Amino acid sequence: MATNEMQAQALNETGGGKTSFAISMLFPLFRATLWGLTGYFAAAWITAALLGSVIVNPLPATVGYIVGLVGWLMGSGLWEGWIRRAFGGAEAPAYTGVERYFRFGPDSKSTAVRYVVFNVVAFFFAGLAAMAIRVELLTPDSTGWWMSTIHYNMTFGIHGLMMLLAVAASVIVGGVGYYLVPLMLGVRNVVFPKLLGLSWWLLPPAAFAVFMSPTIGGFQTGWWGYPPLAQNSGSGIVFYVLGAATLLTASVLGAINIAGTMVYMRAKGMSLGRVPIFVWGLFAASTILIVEAPATFTGALMDLSDMILGSHFYTGPTGHPLAYMDQFWFLFHPEVYVFALPAFAIWLEILPAAAKRPLFARNWAIAGLVGVSMLGAMLGVHHYFTAVSPARMPIFMTFTETVSIPTGFIYLSAIGTLWGGRLKINAAVLLVLMAMMNFLVGGLTGIFNADVPADLQLHNTYWVVAHFHYTILGAVIFTWIAALYWWFPKVTGRKINEFWGKFHAWWFFVFFNCTFFPMFIAGIEGMNRRIAIYLPYLHGINLFISISAFLLGAGFLIPLANLVYSWRRGEKAEPNPWGSKGLEWQIKSPTPYIPFPEGTEPEVVGPNDNYAAGSKEPFVWVSTPSK
Amino acid sequence: MAENGYASLMDPAPERAKRGAFFFLTLFASIVFAMWDLARFLWGGTGVPSTLNMGVGIGLTVLMLISLVPVFGAQRKLNQGDDKGILSSMGALLVVAVIMICGIVYSWTSLPISSGYGGIYDITTGWFLLHFVAAILAFLATIMKGSRTPERAKRERWVSYNVLMYWGGMVVLWVVFFGIFYLA
Repeated sequence: MATNEMQAQALNETGGGKTSFAISMLFPLFRATLWGLTGYFAAAWITAALLGSVIVNPLPATVGYIVGLVGWLMGSGLWEGWIRRAFGGAEAPAYTGVERYFRFGPDSKSTAVRYVVFNVVAFFFAGLAAMAIRVELLTPDSTGWWMSTIHYNMTFGIHGLMMLLAVAASVIVGGVGYYLVPLMLGVRNVVFPKLLGLSWWLLPPAAFAVFMSPTIGGFQTGWWGYPPLAQNSGSGIVFYVLGAATLLTASVLGAINIAGTMVYMRAKGMSLGRVPIFVWGLFAASTILIVEAPATFTGALMDLSDMILGSHFYTGPTGHPLAYMDQFWFLFHPEVYVFALPAFAIWLEILPAAAKRPLFARNWAIAGLVGVSMLGAMLGVHHYFTAVSPARMPIFMTFTETVSIPTGFIYLSAIGTLWGGRLKINAAVLLVLMAMMNFLVGGLTGIFNADVPADLQLHNTYWVVAHFHYTILGAVIFTWIAALYWWFPKVTGRKINEFWGKFHAWWFFVFFNCTFFPMFIAGIEGMNRRIAIYLPYLHGINLFISISAFLLGAGFLIPLANLVYSWRRGEKAEPNPWGSKGLEWQIKSPTPYIPFPEGTEPEVVGPNDNYAAGSKEPFVWVSTPSK
Repeated sequence: MAENGYASLMDPAPERAKRGAFFFLTLFASIVFAMWDLARFLWGGTGVPSTLNMGVGIGLTVLMLISLVPVFGAQRKLNQGDDKGILSSMGALLVVAVIMICGIVYSWTSLPISSGYGGIYDITTGWFLLHFVAAILAFLATIMKGSRTPERAKRERWVSYNVLMYWGGMVVLWVVFFGIFYLA
């Protein structure tokens, strides 16, 4: 793999402290938890006492959340790792060994690994909520022996919000992206390493608060949080609002790093056309977050202001509840592209290396990624055609259907890459191909949702539930697991078990389709979403869906076991097991704390997807400064 | 636990990148303010309530505009490599930020939050207030770092540039706010 002697040297001299795990390394984590919980309860109780109120009311809960969040961050090491130093205080030591995984720090690689762990945990608990939903729907009316309608509403609200903001929003951008962006761009770290480190530490308290929202009354609105219902159905909505705003902030901090690193820190010789396609996908997603998150962010804060400060943005004499829908969907429709564009880009990153073919129509694919991100800002209204004037319908229908054009560029690029290639199918590639199939179904059914006459019939039915699970679970989560498999040797130096990887892929594909395809039929037959009971004629299909869902849910334990087992005992991987020409694979695996040593840097001298026999290496290692 | 020799190696962004990427952060913050500004007409109508204290608004706006003098002065000194010379300007800006916070809190007393205009005015100025608090912390950090560890401040000059850019952005946003909430 070494392209010249300097690269060989670069690979051999990358050090960093080697330490083995000790229980004392968990101290920052324990301290953060202790300070977070103490801060929450102390602040909430004091506020409640001052107001003559109780801690489950919106204002004490809000004050408690903010103080608890600050306590958690300080406990995690933010004070000694950043703030103290910024005020001219002592410099914290650089934690280069295993201890860096358990405390706040500037290392993007350990941040990314923490993202994966967080996403797996959030996915597990939000998945349990999904299982609870499917138990409820085993019979036409399970409210007598399982969840009441109130609990059912809370459950699907938590499931939706957590799956979207604590899982889909960061599985690929966070766990995969933050690890690979610096390596793919040929730098040792992102532009604002501490800001990126901070982004992870915002996640656990936010997700914990949302999961705990039933303890202060829950919320009945589903993940939309539409007022006026939001303000009249339980204080738990406070945790929803604060949790969502915190998770969005974390996403934006990551987006700033991705955009800034790509624009300002590319390796020498890496023109925009030579930027790896995955980084382009992340960049497109980042622009969405930076430009469009403010609308939803302000909506959340205005809703909170109504509840704790007495303003009337969405209720009361001056309230405009429909404004919330505009604000909410201005980001949260494009947010699905924040999930999907990096997934598309991973297909286009993996397929050339697997098929040993250059990426077909590379510039069109880049245009597709950027095009989707730009069009995405103009079509959120299609989520509420039933609530807008007829004048807005054809405009937003047209914009929405236009998105299929840049998406088509991406598909054509993938198909063109596969065409005539000798595809070597391992578990990761298999999952990518399945994700492409699933997204095709999700995308094509989306056209019916975008079409006003069809949408007015399909709105709020299980058709919509099936559609977005095909795009998010079927495409994004499939691709996430594919990416974990593909880059597993990069992070751990070992390979996953291919047999169990492929076994899981087929298990997943079969039961995913058995779970969600019938939902299209149920939707057309009149099954409402978000209702705990249904008419008896829908029992058979719901029974089939629920049993498939249980098998699908159980199937997630296979990749989890595979990843954990392979991390400890998997087959040792060679440095570049897939024969990829990507820059990240030219660096030692597992990636050392310092990816490449001082005085050395990569220079790009050719396209990173030229797999023709005898083609020269795309990168060489040169001395710094190279100019 | 290794010594901190790796810190600079693992924060490799040059000054150009640190200053350039800060633009994305300010872009995000500016769009948040633009959202509040746009929302003023939805919730506040086109009129301005008689209880709005125009004198305080004009005074705060003039103060913000005058605060550009130390901003440009400090920027010139940074360009000349005089890291110590900016500390007095930072101190002056810190005082301005404190006055702005007092002015905002005073303005709240005459506008009920439950009214349409009062609600949007209060949440927008509340957001400004949070940014002024952040500015005070940033000025304090710059002053303390510059006096306690001048070498570090010199090495990380981009921080001072970004603090000044942050304040410059605040001035622009405040002037837009004044135009929309007081004059339009």
